[in-house]
Amino acid sequence: MELELFSGAFFSALLAIILIDLVLAGDNALIIGLVARNLPKESQNKVIFWGTFGAIAIRALMTVLVVYILAVPGFMLVGGLALVWIARKLLTPHDKEEESHLVKAPAASFAAAVRTIVIADAVMGIDNVLAIGGASHGSILLILLGLAISVPIIVWGSQLVIKLVDRYPSVILIGGAVLCWTAYGMIVREPMLVAWFEAHPAAKLVLAGLAFSIALAPWYAERLSEQMKPLTVLLPAILLWMLGFEVASSVWKVQVDYLMATTQGEYLLEGVRWIGWLPFAALFLWIRERMMLRNARVARSTQ
Amino acid sequence: MRLIHRSPRAANAARTASPSAELFVASLVICMILSSFGYAVDPIWFGETGLELAVVDLGGEFSVLAMRHWHLLELLLAGGMMAAGIVILGIVAGAVFQPLATADSGAVEKVPIKL
Repeated sequence: MELELFSGAFFSALLAIILIDLVLAGDNALIIGLVARNLPKESQNKVIFWGTFGAIAIRALMTVLVVYILAVPGFMLVGGLALVWIARKLLTPHDKEEESHLVKAPAASFAAAVRTIVIADAVMGIDNVLAIGGASHGSILLILLGLAISVPIIVWGSQLVIKLVDRYPSVILIGGAVLCWTAYGMIVREPMLVAWFEAHPAAKLVLAGLAFSIALAPWYAERLSEQMKPLTVLLPAILLWMLGFEVASSVWKVQVDYLMATTQGEYLLEGVRWIGWLPFAALFLWIRERMMLRNARVARSTQ
Repeated sequence: MRLIHRSPRAANAARTASPSAELFVASLVICMILSSFGYAVDPIWFGETGLELAVVDLGGEFSVLAMRHWHLLELLLAGGMMAAGIVILGIVAGAVFQPLATADSGAVEKVPIKL
């Protein structure tokens, strides 16, 4: 689908790409610094240049690949689900500064250093490229613009991005919401599911609620009291239960709509759909309570 | 490692974001979910129940059902408007209900009423 140039949809997609680039940018400068720190001074400059060049080249190649991969039926769904998880990881608080697991040790040679930088960028950039592929709606111009925005961030923009997100951490929250919105859009645009969503319009609402309740759980969990914390599990589980009935109605050709039910069995099924999750929720809360009591007992006994 | 994890404030955005920013993002998310609600509701149902006036407004562009066509920019604006509306509502509600709250029995400004 090609978006009309300079339309509201075009600028919206561009804004989504900029936000995604900001929040999912990888720390290439740190990787290059870690890899090249034991190399001779004259090799370090060459490593910085070729490492950055390789990182940009691999990013461009991955972007092109993602455009083609997302056109394959099924990949839009997989990409959408992956983005929901990426948004959740993005919003999960990090208490201590994590070590970069992509670089185990400084490189011993120029070739090894460049190879490590390129591989590290490829690993760090997968989510970024996937999200841009989803947000661009297949528009080549937007993908090129996304690449043109992410390359300066890779090369020079790291300090600027750090300053921005440090001053306004809410950019991360907006980025998480936009990522989740992009994921929802990718799932409902999945070619294999378009017809199903047309036939089950309520499923779109449930899916949107499900995606946001999973992706934003680390954020709203911070605002919930200890007694309300199970909501981070129960809310997505209930929405998944509802979505499951919509899927089941298609697979087994059963009527789960109360207004269209005609037989006793269909009314029973409708009842199970709306209140059948209650025993499971109660069981979950009971097990959680027991586990918490057990953990508290163990903690007391070890003191 | 992500760039944002170099900043402790950004890495803990779920904890460090300001309340007003959180209200804005929450409003944005509500608008996003409402826009998917537009797909779930068939406008014909409203017609059948005589509620078509509830969903048809100025060209039908500002109703919840029309939100399904909205882009991110429109949703951001709507989220901002909703957050501003909630803040104004909070201020107005505070101004109305604060004078109605009873003062402490031992407070200095408590007016003694003798019958």
